[in-house]
Parts: sequence; C-alpha cells; structure tokens
Amino acid sequence: MAIVAGIDIGNATTETALARIEGRDITFLATGISPTTGIKGTLQNLHGLRSSLGMALERAGFKGDDYRAVDLIRLNRAAPVIGDVAMETVTETIVTESTMIGHNPSTPGGIGVGLGVSIPFGGLSRASEGDSVIPVIEAKYDYETAASEISAAIARGVNVAAAICQSDDGVLIANRMPHVIPIVDEVSAIERVPLGMRCCVEVAPPGRVVSLLSNPYDIASLFELSPEETKQIVPVARALVGNRSAVVIRTPMGEVRERRIPAGELYIIGPQGKRTVNVEEGAGVIQKTVIDCYPVENIFGQPGTNVGGMMERVRRTMSDLTDIPIGDIYIQDLLAVDTLVPQKVVGGVAGEFSLESGVALAVMVKTEELPMQRLAKAVAEELGVKVEVGGIEADMAIRGALTTPGTKPPIAILDLGAGSSDASFMKTDGTVSLTHLAGAGNMVNTIIGSELGIDDMDLAEAIKRYPLCKVESAFHVRQEDGTVRFFDKPLDPSVFGRVALLHENDMLQPLMIPNISLERVRMTRRKAKQEVFVKNAMRALEQVAPGNNVRLVDYVVLVGGSAKDFEISTMVTDMLSRYGIVAGRGNIRSTEGPRNAVATGLVLSSTGGAQ
Amino acid sequence: MQINPELLEKIVTEVLAELGAAGGSTAAVATAAPEAVAGIKLTEKGPAERGTDPKEVVLAVSPAFGTTFKTTIIGLPLAAVLRQVFAGAEEEGIHVRVIRVYHTADVAFMAHYAARISGSGIGIGILSRGTSVIHQRDLAPLSNLELFPQSPVIDLPTFRAIGKNAAKYAKGESPTPVPTNNDPMARPRYQGLAALLHNKEAGFQDRSKAPQELSVSFE
Repeated sequence: MAIVAGIDIGNATTETALARIEGRDITFLATGISPTTGIKGTLQNLHGLRSSLGMALERAGFKGDDYRAVDLIRLNRAAPVIGDVAMETVTETIVTESTMIGHNPSTPGGIGVGLGVSIPFGGLSRASEGDSVIPVIEAKYDYETAASEISAAIARGVNVAAAICQSDDGVLIANRMPHVIPIVDEVSAIERVPLGMRCCVEVAPPGRVVSLLSNPYDIASLFELSPEETKQIVPVARALVGNRSAVVIRTPMGEVRERRIPAGELYIIGPQGKRTVNVEEGAGVIQKTVIDCYPVENIFGQPGTNVGGMMERVRRTMSDLTDIPIGDIYIQDLLAVDTLVPQKVVGGVAGEFSLESGVALAVMVKTEELPMQRLAKAVAEELGVKVEVGGIEADMAIRGALTTPGTKPPIAILDLGAGSSDASFMKTDGTVSLTHLAGAGNMVNTIIGSELGIDDMDLAEAIKRYPLCKVESAFHVRQEDGTVRFFDKPLDPSVFGRVALLHENDMLQPLMIPNISLERVRMTRRKAKQEVFVKNAMRALEQVAPGNNVRLVDYVVLVGGSAKDFEISTMVTDMLSRYGIVAGRGNIRSTEGPRNAVATGLVLSSTGGAQ
Repeated sequence: MQINPELLEKIVTEVLAELGAAGGSTAAVATAAPEAVAGIKLTEKGPAERGTDPKEVVLAVSPAFGTTFKTTIIGLPLAAVLRQVFAGAEEEGIHVRVIRVYHTADVAFMAHYAARISGSGIGIGILSRGTSVIHQRDLAPLSNLELFPQSPVIDLPTFRAIGKNAAKYAKGESPTPVPTNNDPMARPRYQGLAALLHNKEAGFQDRSKAPQELSVSFE
C-alpha cells in the first residue's frame, strides 16, 4: 500500500491528486488546488506546491503539514511558457497643423452643418453684416456672455454659422440662441484651432453620426477641392467616421496621416530553413508563416526593434530562471492576434483617441527536463518524500481525461490553461501524439487589457472570468443577455448606474472605466477568447489529428482551468460541431469537472498502465 | 496650532452676528465678490409635491439657504452655486426643481427627501455652507451616490460637475464620480467655523413645516 500524490504545476494553479495504491487498485482520496508561485518549472514553485499538497492532505484526513504521510510525489514534466505577451502598435494617426477636431463630446449643442471662417470670440463684435463666421470660444467666457454676444451678432445680420467652444457649454449656449446652430464643445486645446480659416462644423441628431464630414466627396464639395486635394482629405474623413460631432478646417498645409510604425521582423526557423515575416503584416500572415515552418525549431526577432526586444526578454527571463545558457533556449511556438488599441492622436486639439491596429504575440519555450529535475530534487529535500518526474503534460492530461464517464480512445483532449493550450490524441492502441501551443488565458487578459486601456491585470482577469451586467436601480441589474435580475437587499451605491461584473455569490464589481459600454466590453472579451482559444483549438487539433485532418477526430474532451470558463468551452464546442466532432467539457473522475486532469493522470501512470 | 487671523476674524464676525440676531437686529453676513449673478430670489410656491417628470432632478436646499446665508463657507455666492448646478444639469438635458427643506438641516436626509419626490429618483442636497450629496430614492438615507463632505474644498467647477453627474444618473448613464480635492488642513482650519454655521443653520429648522417648492430667479 502506498500513498501517491500527483502534482501538476501549471502556469496559474498547482493541482494535487492524492491516492492510495494497492497493487493495481487506485483509490483517490482528495484533491488540492492553490495558485502557482513564480514561473512554472522554477524553484519558486515550491511554496504553491506545499499549500496545494497540504490542502489535499487535510481533506484526506491527514495533518496539513504531514508531508511524510505521502510515499511518492509525481510531478509533471512542465513545458514552461512565458505568458509575457507583447503588444506592438503598428499604426499611428498624426494630425499636422490642426485640420480637424474629431473627438466625441457626449453633449454637443444644436444640430446641423455650419460653414464659415473661424474667428476669435473677442472679434465677433467686429464682424460685419453678411459675413459667415464661426466663433472660437475660450473657457474664460461664460455661457451667458457667449450666447448673448452671438445673439447680438446675429441680430446685426452677421451669419454666425456655428461655434466651437472649450468648456462643456454646447447645449447651454444652443438653448439660449434665437435659432439652432451646431456647436462643438469640450475642445481642450482650443488655442491650437487655426483662426481666419474656412471651417465646417457638423453636429448630428442624438443617436446619429456625422454624415457630411465623414464623406470625402462632401468635404470636397464644401471646400471646393480638386481631385488631388480630395485624395489627401481621405484620412480626415476616415478619422471622423462614427462621431456625433466634428469640425474640419481647411488650412494650406494641414493633413492627417496614418503612419506605420516599424515593428520589426520575425525570423522563424523550421526544417526547411529560415523564413522572415514583418510584424506589420498582421496576425494572419505571421500565423501562416509559423504553419509553413512547422515544426518550428526557433524564433528570433529583428535586433534593435520592439519585437526583437520581446524575444530577447523571453529568452533572458527563461535563462535567469532555469540557469540554461541564453543560446540554448528555443522558442517553439508563437501565436499572433490582431488587436485594436486606443491611442491618443498625435497633434490632436481635443485629446482625440483613435483605434490603432496592433499585434499581440504569445510565445512558448521548448520543454526542458533539467529544471524540473532540479525542482524535484528540491522538493525531495524540503519535504523528505521521494519525488519523481512523470510523463509529459499532454500525455498525463489524456490519461486523466479518460476518467470522464462516456469516453474511450480514440479520443483527443484539449487542455486549455493560462499559459498554453495543449492537445493530445490517443489512438485505440494507446499511442499518443501531442503538442503544446503558445497562447491561452493570459493572452486573453493581455488583449482585453490593451483593447480597453486597462493596466491592471487583475481587472482584465476579472473581465475575462465574469459575465457583465448593468445596474439599473438599487434593486435590479440587467445582465448581458438582456434578462433582468432582482435583488432582495439594496445594492451598494457605488455600483449604481454602472457596468459591473457579476461575481459568484452575487458580488458586483463596478468597472471604473470612463465612457465604457457593456456592449463594448462584451465584444472585446468574446473576440479575445475566440481569437485565442478557438484559433488555438483548431491549430492544436490539426497537429495531433490522424493525417492532420480534424474531421478524423470523433471525440474531444476539454480540460484545464480555462475550460471551466463560462463561455470558452461552448465557443470551442460550437466551432468543433461544424466538423462533426462531439466536444464537451471533461468531468475528471466524475467529480472534478475539467480540473485535475494532469494530476490524476500522474497518479494513474504510476502503476505503469492506463486504467 | 497656528492661528489664522483671517479665520479668527470670520468666526468673531459670525459670533457677533449670532448675538446680534438674538438681540433682534438683522444678521450681517459679508457679501461676496462680484460674480455673473450677484443675488438670487427664492420664492416659495407652496408644499413640494412628488414629481413624475423623468427629466427632472430635485435639489433640496437647507432652511436658511439664500436668505440668512448668502455665501458658502469659503465665500462662494449661493447664487453662483445654484447657477452652476443648473448649468451642469441643463448641459445634459435635465431640469432641476428646487425645494427648501425645513424639517432637517442634515444634508443626507435633505437629499434623500429630494430623491424620493424626484421624477427621476435622483436628488441633490446642498447646505448653505456648501456640503453636498447626490442621492437616489432607493438607497438608505445615510447611504448615497456621491458625497462631498468637505465644504471648504468645493469650488464652482465642482458644483457644475455635481449638477452634471446628477443629471447623468437621472439619464441612467454611468458617470465617473466627480473628482474632488482633499485638504487635510480643511478640518483643523474650518471645523470651528463649520460648527458655528451648522448651529446657526439648525436654528432655522422647523420640524412641523413641510418642504416647500421654490422658484428661483437670478438678479
């Protein structure tokens, strides 16, 4: 009789399965789970391992620190994955000599289109009858003053076509005018608005967007532009698409440019030699190159560029942690995802933001047994228990997954974790093919963080993990699927009116992001999960399936922490059903859900065979 | 503690005014610096009714707001305060209905009363010395949406933002809470004066008088 603990050190969690083995009979006693300390495969993991094992021991009726009750600890041969996912912005919008104001104040004044010459507000009294003018009102003028002077000028016969103002006074001024003129407000850097130039202001009705100033031919008609000039105005029109209000000013030199930032080249080394791909070309081309080079041997970035720096950083981190020389660290897989990153427009006058395209990259470093052996030695010394390093993670996962009721080989499993997405396929004869791919839960966090402009990774993790709702009163919320949920006790006033995350046990966490809508957060979250998990599920299955044909797989079991997610498993199931594959979340040993697969597999494999 | 002669003088003036008022003469409160609107006329129109207009926010002012008191604790004219709150709400397309509360001088209960009779369920309470609260009708009186407890740090742009945020809550939007300054010296410097002002204001309470609807005109 022996007590065996299978311990799976993952990127995010350390899971333990504790079992009693008598001959070939295995009785599972308890499980434990705790956050992984440090990067997986390093000596820092020891702390998380202790608490995970301690938890299992306590649940099994031993004392929490009675490690010697265990006769054998089996560790996974981890594939260390750096979740350090980098974002490279590849475009940038630059406005030279202010030609447009394209921010989106929530409450512009009036409705309509006004065309005239921009003048300082102080010069309004000098405007003569019949002039078409657009006063530029600085914050020092009160809205009453602004409204009365504009009304007086209109009474004198000056055609005040529109107004541009610095403070949030658009509606206030518009409400005090004899007739409706469009007013764009909250232009923070108003001193940069060129004066004495032909200028056009458009404010759309509530719920609509500007139609004239987002159309290059309408801008051409308004300013009498030549075909060449019209071509130059296209980036302006593009930048104004989707805004409720906009200003375009015709200056002799001004232009809006979209600049592509040199992000650097990636060198991917495969069996057929080296291929080069520019990060600028986007995720699609990068991913295709990675597939062309399969199986990838190593990946480098162009020295002196952002992507080169990222690859070196990954190598250095791995080298520091594992004491392997930097030259012996091989990057074996890379996942690229296109993202949109909100960036401040360079040279903008109202703090405009523009959605720039970027590429998120996740990479994975080749498995090394050495650090795991080192960790095993350290664990043995610390706890005084015999430790051995068990099989490869994906192999162990499939053995664990097969304890799910209703499964039998041939079967494929997808282990969706925090740092990597692993797949393995077991044929009827028990032979296993497997793969480890870069990109999983941590990459989703990075994408959510950069697309929503969040620096706090804990918040990004929470957004990934919990569904959204909008708090509509002190007693009810509307959930993201449109249903209403009532509460018996009044909600905390700090969540009133806000978009919030609905945690377990009904706790609400308000999202303190300015001007955020539930729809945008939901779309970003779902897109990130689709791009990472659905894409990786396909990629992984293609590599392990017989003949690389996904259609030849009949059953897929999803395991791992990310399979527990409230929507990832349904997204993957939905996609795989198109290939006629039965896919679903695993239920390890009929009790554990999708967790604990590798730890269970480690225990099972200690007797030498499958069940 | 360092004694601020200016503040001391203000307290002395207040105390003298208080004594004078007790003696029957009218209270002398220093009038404020010139502003776009110097004064307000607040006329009572009868008992405050429960509103049905979802486009309104109700603002409750304290018993002596604008009558005995003309400025906040830092000398902002109450006329300008009201004007800024109105402007903040108007910019968002919301209208402010003003009531005067007599039965309490506690800003939380004033604002909660205002919220309960407000068509949108959102109320604001402002004390003469400047302390303010944004409230919602379903909350407990001592809870709130946004509280501005330090009257000495509330300036006119903050009052504008209070009007704006109250309007945004009324529209069901999720505004970013109004950023406020925090002055750790506000308490030691102003506590004495604030206590005096509260005492004075509480003297105008009439527990048997119902809240009154006010019409506001600027002079």
